[in-house]
Amino acid sequence: MTRDELQEKIVVILVDEFEFENPGFTDNLRDDHGFDSIDAIELLAKIEEILGFQISRKEKEKAMSIRTINDILDYIETIQAAHKS
Amino acid sequence: MERRVVITACSAITPIGYGKDAIVESLRTGKSGVKPLRDDGLLTERIHSKVFGTVDYPIDYGFARKDTKTMGPVAYYACKVAGDVLAESGLSQDFIRSGRLGVSFGSTHGSPTVQRSIYKTFFNEDKSKFSSIGAVDYLKSMVHTTAVNITRMFGITGRVVASSTACTTSSQSIGYAYEMVKFGMQDAMIAGGADEYDTTTIAVFDNLLACSVDYNDTPKRTPRPFDRNRDGLVVGEGGAAVLLEEYEHAHARGATILGEVIGFACNNNGGDLILPNLTGITTTLQLALDNAKIQPADVDFISAHATATKMGDVIESQAIAEVYGNKPWVIGLKSYMGHTMGTCGAIETILSLYMMEQGFLAPTLNLENVDERCAMLRHVREVTEAGTRTAAIQNFAFGGVNNCLIITDGRK
Repeated sequence: MTRDELQEKIVVILVDEFEFENPGFTDNLRDDHGFDSIDAIELLAKIEEILGFQISRKEKEKAMSIRTINDILDYIETIQAAHKS
Repeated sequence: MERRVVITACSAITPIGYGKDAIVESLRTGKSGVKPLRDDGLLTERIHSKVFGTVDYPIDYGFARKDTKTMGPVAYYACKVAGDVLAESGLSQDFIRSGRLGVSFGSTHGSPTVQRSIYKTFFNEDKSKFSSIGAVDYLKSMVHTTAVNITRMFGITGRVVASSTACTTSSQSIGYAYEMVKFGMQDAMIAGGADEYDTTTIAVFDNLLACSVDYNDTPKRTPRPFDRNRDGLVVGEGGAAVLLEEYEHAHARGATILGEVIGFACNNNGGDLILPNLTGITTTLQLALDNAKIQPADVDFISAHATATKMGDVIESQAIAEVYGNKPWVIGLKSYMGHTMGTCGAIETILSLYMMEQGFLAPTLNLENVDERCAMLRHVREVTEAGTRTAAIQNFAFGGVNNCLIITDGRK
């Protein structure tokens, strides 16, 4: 899955299910959109569905440092690359 | 230190309406909220009872997602009525967040709707799917979900009491909140209960042969408290809250006083967990009078638990007759909406406040031929214009829990 494809899917999820309004890729998720740790766990479940495999506990813990949509996309690409290798 | 505890706001979502105007109109016109049981695709085919006390009108919740993400249906009811009482009360944001306002709120078993979605994980035959347990499913379904979603939504930092004693849940919520304020632990408490549409509760009572089945084609004719042809209870849904406040605190800020809680008693039968117990119930009614420091003759009317089960109504009638004789009026408010389980005590408290304020007593619906074993009481058979000032609200639960609240109107 390309970054553009990922980006499209993530933005749709954030708008439709997390009620983001006009999300920007460098917005602070918490400060600008009220995205908290509970949301992060919910989003990880969505990402697992997109990727089609289960994310490990260690990898999930790394997601807690995500601050922006760009961080989310970087995180997914890293996970994807690690899974392929 | 014993302080007076007054009621300064109330709100109820019930099968006969939401808010005072709609509810009073239903009580005055004899409108029932019992409807055909709606299908849950799971249990309804096997349940013999096909009736349910239904909230079927639209409710504009207006909640933000940041709040709803931890809420199941039961918490929607709870937070809506809690928000209503805070708005009606006029309490300041500073006080709400001060730690001097607490929450005493419960439900029968949290959110069974969300619990069912959790259980689906265990029966998911598609092994390629990931767990269907969501990150917040516990927060949505846990037994204290109503109380803590209220604290979260409104930033309340005081004590939390989360009663969960089936049919006495919200009457205990009010009783324990009353004691919190009376003895100075809190200056105000939001107290009440909620229960959502749920067929597992119906299935349990249905299995025990306690649910109404003879009026499946004519839902409005059941339940029939104290009637010779009653055939069991009807489960219902709803939410209700009152704001209890220390009298001087309410008086100082010029709050409208709707009523006062003057007595509360709660005990247990200490034995059978299902059968009603005459000694246990009689003792509770007497203890509540003692707690209120009044005599039986001071009580104008009784909101009976009156679920319309065959033995429950008879035992309750005997207890009322033993403690009160036949002086106070007796009403079975579940005849209007069925048994709203964890919500019933709070709903019946609020309906009693409305009737005292409006100067009338609503009749027990469907009471066409009084069972001779219940005939020693002074039943309300028609809309009765009566100025009443003191009411006893009685509720009894599986587990042998008995509860009685005594309230007065706002004029004292």
